[in-house]
Amino acid sequence: MKIERGKLIETLKELKGKGYKYLVKIAGVDNINSISVLYFVRDIDNNKEEVVEVELDPNDTALPSVEEVYKAADWYERTLYEMFGIEIKGRQIRRLLLEKWNGKGAPLRKNFEWGAPYETKQSKKAVA
Amino acid sequence: MTTKINIGPIHPSTHGVLRLVVELDGDTIVGVEPHIGFLHRGVEKLAENRMYMQNIGYMEKIDYVAPMAYDDAYVAAVEEAMGVEVKERAKYIRTILLELQRIASHLLWLGTMANDLGQFYTLFMWTFRDRDKILRLLQEHAGARMFYLNMRPGGVVRDLPPDFEENTLQVLDYIEKRITEYEHYLESNQVFIERTKGIGVLSREMAIELGATGPVLRGSGVNYDTRSNKPYYAYSELGFRPQVMFAGDSFARYKVRMLEMKESIRMVREAFKKIPEGDAVGMPVRLIMPQAKNKIVTVNRETPRGEAFIYMIADKERPYRLSIRTPSFINLSLINEIAKGSRLADLFAILGSLDLVMADVDL
Amino acid sequence: MHRDDFLAQEEISAKDFEDAEQEMTALVEKSLQKYNLKPNMLFAKLSDITASAAKGIVNWSRKNSVWPSLFGLACCAMELMDFGSARIDAERRGYLLFRATPRQSDVMIVAGWVTKSMVPEVKRMYEQMLKPRYVVAYGECAVSGGPWFESYNIIKGIDQVLPVDVYVAGCPPKPENLFSALMKLQKKIGGSIED
Repeated sequence: MKIERGKLIETLKELKGKGYKYLVKIAGVDNINSISVLYFVRDIDNNKEEVVEVELDPNDTALPSVEEVYKAADWYERTLYEMFGIEIKGRQIRRLLLEKWNGKGAPLRKNFEWGAPYETKQSKKAVA
Repeated sequence: MTTKINIGPIHPSTHGVLRLVVELDGDTIVGVEPHIGFLHRGVEKLAENRMYMQNIGYMEKIDYVAPMAYDDAYVAAVEEAMGVEVKERAKYIRTILLELQRIASHLLWLGTMANDLGQFYTLFMWTFRDRDKILRLLQEHAGARMFYLNMRPGGVVRDLPPDFEENTLQVLDYIEKRITEYEHYLESNQVFIERTKGIGVLSREMAIELGATGPVLRGSGVNYDTRSNKPYYAYSELGFRPQVMFAGDSFARYKVRMLEMKESIRMVREAFKKIPEGDAVGMPVRLIMPQAKNKIVTVNRETPRGEAFIYMIADKERPYRLSIRTPSFINLSLINEIAKGSRLADLFAILGSLDLVMADVDL
Repeated sequence: MHRDDFLAQEEISAKDFEDAEQEMTALVEKSLQKYNLKPNMLFAKLSDITASAAKGIVNWSRKNSVWPSLFGLACCAMELMDFGSARIDAERRGYLLFRATPRQSDVMIVAGWVTKSMVPEVKRMYEQMLKPRYVVAYGECAVSGGPWFESYNIIKGIDQVLPVDVYVAGCPPKPENLFSALMKLQKKIGGSIED
């Protein structure tokens, strides 16, 4: 189901009340003119799954943090922050996988610059 | 007054590169913070540049202890995107190979966990030798010891060799005897029992709340297994039952894996009796059609460490977005909750019972 | 095709042996001068004999007991553990104890891909090893970056950072490959005196 970001925490609390207590993954997708964030939740006793989708503008990415509803969302939100550049409000977010990253931009976006992927010490000597 | 110590990325236990910053009050642990990312190579980004069948090489190196599980999960996603059905005989062959892979993975876990808990180095040597026998069996079919590349959409790359069944049944008889010996060896040892019983307790509510998977979830009393809740291949016909223990400590997680090994042995034996005749070869690599029929695909598979979940958006020739949830990533984030209140010496016993693979964590 | 064709090897030339012999005789003469002894005929012959015997014994003992340090990072670590266990026994050629500390080991076998956040740790490990020390690049990820060649977070081969002695290619190379590569390393150790 697609919802707006203002209603995100309400919808998730409702779903948790109905029995969907297990969070499977929070995934991000870069459609070129928007970024969508998907929340996969699951009901363990009855074996059902639901997907909640939120679409964001790439210049105005601010999501409320979902940690008060699902505690498992902590590490997933940290990877969203560093891989897509999405700001998460409500608590302090630190980087998880790329702690000492001094490159530019967010890696999983489509406009990420690769740098010089084919350059090594030996190739620099050969050119010069 | 608490002190913080650093257990750095290079340490004598065989878990891999992981940095733990442990906050201690005397000898009791107050908080553990893992710092990861020493093996991060950006598989999700690299996979967007390659065509479908070229990506299998990346998928296998995610979990290097049981590579066939991710091989199979990715190829199943490609099959669903193209709308291809798996052949009947190939379903049984895939089940047999996956269960053999599961036994090999649990044997390696047993060796390294026993090594960490008191230098049971003999057990390490024995389990590696037994695992070597299974790897030789898989080498006869696929051609390589570790990275098999034997899954194709619609089946497997070639049929089983003619004497595979005899050899497998011999090896399984041998391994069954050895597993009972290892159980007796460990459970009658006072050091092992005192270091695992009552240590690292995870209650049922916290396990569901924090998102645990695999034997960590089943060791806390939750009856959820992908092979029985969302059955795939031949598991429902072979009568699979998930193994559950209710205590939630390290001993329960150890026992779940030993019982799973025995269940796998039983299932492989029965699969050889029920396997149908026919053709099992999948589509050859050059004939893969470039158009995808279903655009958005999800796949759930049970790897030896837990549940792997793949969400793929399929473009014309390459995947547009490949998003993978690995079980070790979310199992490692439980360490803060589990290790509070225990002593520093128990930390590696707990990490051993969670069964982590660090390349799985830093996807 | 023989498997030696697949392994990258360095040529051990006769010039290396000659250079080493000249260095050893120069050292022995310098130490003799310290004690104010003049080499006469008999003494020169004795010093030659003891110099070559000493060189031979030292080299023989160094090359037959090479203790590796556990530096398995990723998939190749599984084959490294297999190399040390019962089927292909590493102990029978002298690669005895796999130590976790670098201060008690001779060889660092780098197995697995090295990322940019891991580079300071690798350098620190290498500097803590005592001379003479050697580095073996095991597996394609340590030789040239491997399948992760285009990634944004990977060093393209460990020889961008450390000096490497033996390269072993394969993904992962079988433990028998590593055995043959370490035997070549033993030949290299036996010929030279300084690192």
